[in-house]
Amino acid sequence: MDVPLEETPVYKVKSYKSDLKPIWCPGCGDFSVLSAIMRALTELQLPPHQVSLVSGIGCSSRLPAYSTLYGFHSVHGRALPVASGLKLSRPDLTVLAVGGDGDGFSIGGNHFIHACRRNVDMTYIVMDNSVYGMTKGQASPTTDPEWPGSKLTPDGPGVAAFKPLEMALSAGATFIARAFSGDPLEVARQICEGIQHPGFSFVHVLSPCVTYRPEQKTWRERVHEGFPEPTDDRREAFLRLLDDDAFSTGILYKGRTGAFQPHAEATTRAVALGDQFVI
Amino acid sequence: METVEEFLAHAVALEEDSAVRFDDMADALEVHQNDEVTGLFRRMAHFSRLHLAEAQKMAEGLDLPHFKPWEYKWPDAEAPETPEMDATHYLMTPHHALTLALDSEKRGHAFYADLAANNGNDRIRELAMEFAEEEAEHVALLETMLAKYPLPPGDWDEDMDPPVAVD
Repeated sequence: MDVPLEETPVYKVKSYKSDLKPIWCPGCGDFSVLSAIMRALTELQLPPHQVSLVSGIGCSSRLPAYSTLYGFHSVHGRALPVASGLKLSRPDLTVLAVGGDGDGFSIGGNHFIHACRRNVDMTYIVMDNSVYGMTKGQASPTTDPEWPGSKLTPDGPGVAAFKPLEMALSAGATFIARAFSGDPLEVARQICEGIQHPGFSFVHVLSPCVTYRPEQKTWRERVHEGFPEPTDDRREAFLRLLDDDAFSTGILYKGRTGAFQPHAEATTRAVALGDQFVI
Repeated sequence: METVEEFLAHAVALEEDSAVRFDDMADALEVHQNDEVTGLFRRMAHFSRLHLAEAQKMAEGLDLPHFKPWEYKWPDAEAPETPEMDATHYLMTPHHALTLALDSEKRGHAFYADLAANNGNDRIRELAMEFAEEEAEHVALLETMLAKYPLPPGDWDEDMDPPVAVD
C-alpha cells in the first residue's frame, strides 16, 4: 500500500532523533535498527507525537530514549502487554514495541505467544543477538546449544534454540518477517510494511553483539534472501520454515485476518472481581 | 537510471545518507570519549553535507522523483558512500576511521564512474563524469591524510580495563 506523501515531507530522520546519544557499544547492530525505525517513520510521514515506542529491559530496550516518540521503558518482558493496552485504549496511535531476544522470548515469552494470537494492530521489533548483553553475556533462548561463551554454561546451554518465526506463525501472528541489521534499508522496508499491516506484525532482526558474540560478524556472509515474496498461506509459510537455516531474510508471511477489535465492553471491572476476595 | 532528475535524486540521497551515518558514528564514538575519531567522523559528515548542498543546488527547479529508501538503485545494500555502522570499535584509531572514509569515497567514485561509462543518457553521463572527478579528488585527499596515520600495532583493540567485561 502506498502512503500518500505531501509534496515536501514535513518530517525528516532528525525529527525522530532525541538529543541523547546511544550508549551501545560501537559496532552494535542496534544502531542500524534505530536508524531503520526512523527511516520507516520518515517514509510514512508519521508525526512523532502520534507514534509510541514501548520497550522491555535490555540493551536494545534503551531505544525509546533515543527517539522523540512517546516512549515507555517498561518492565522486563512486558513490552507487549503494555503496548497492547496502549493500542486498545488509543487506537489512533501507531504503536511499536521493541526489545531483545531474552526480553521477548524468555522473560516475555508468554506475552509474545499471546500477542501473536491476539493480533492487536501493532509492530514488534526484536533485535536478536542470541545473548544477554546487558548482564554480561549469558546464553539466551536463541543461543546455539553448543555455544561455550559463558562461564555459567561452559559446554553451551544444551537446549535447542527457540525458533521465533515458527512460534509466531504457530501462535497466529499475521505478519512475520526477518532482516539483518547490516542491511538497514531492508529493515526499514519491513518495519514500514509491518506498520501498514492491519494486525500484529513481528519483525525479527538479526542484530549482532560485537562485545559478547564477536563471531556474529560473520552473519553478514550467512544471511540470504530466503523469503523473496510473502505468502498468505500458512501451510506454505510452515513449509518454508522447515527449510529455514535461521538466516533467511524477507517477509515470510502476510495473513489476511483483520486486527483484533474488542467486541463489547466488559460487564464488570477487574477491580470489582478483586472485591470478591476476603483477606 | 534514465533521467537527470532520477540521477540527482540518487546524488542527493547518497550524500544525505552518508552525512547521517557519519554523524551516527561520531555520536557512538563520542560516548566512548574517542575524541580524535569523533572529530574525524564529524568532519566527514560536514563534507557530506557540503556536497549534499551542491547536489541540491543542481536540482533546483527540477522535480525530483520520490524513492522509498530501499527503492534506490544502489550497487549494494546501501548508498555507496554510507560507511558500515558495524565497522566501528570504541578503540578505533584515526587510521581505521580514515580507511573507512576512504573506502566510502572509493565506492562513491566507482558508482559515478560506472554511470559515466555506461549510462544511455548523454546528460547523465556528463554529470556522472563531473561527480566522479570530484570523488576522485576526495579519494586523493583522504589517501594523503591516511598516509599520516600508519597502521597501528596489532594490539590496538586490547583494553586492560574494558568498559564491559565478560562474566
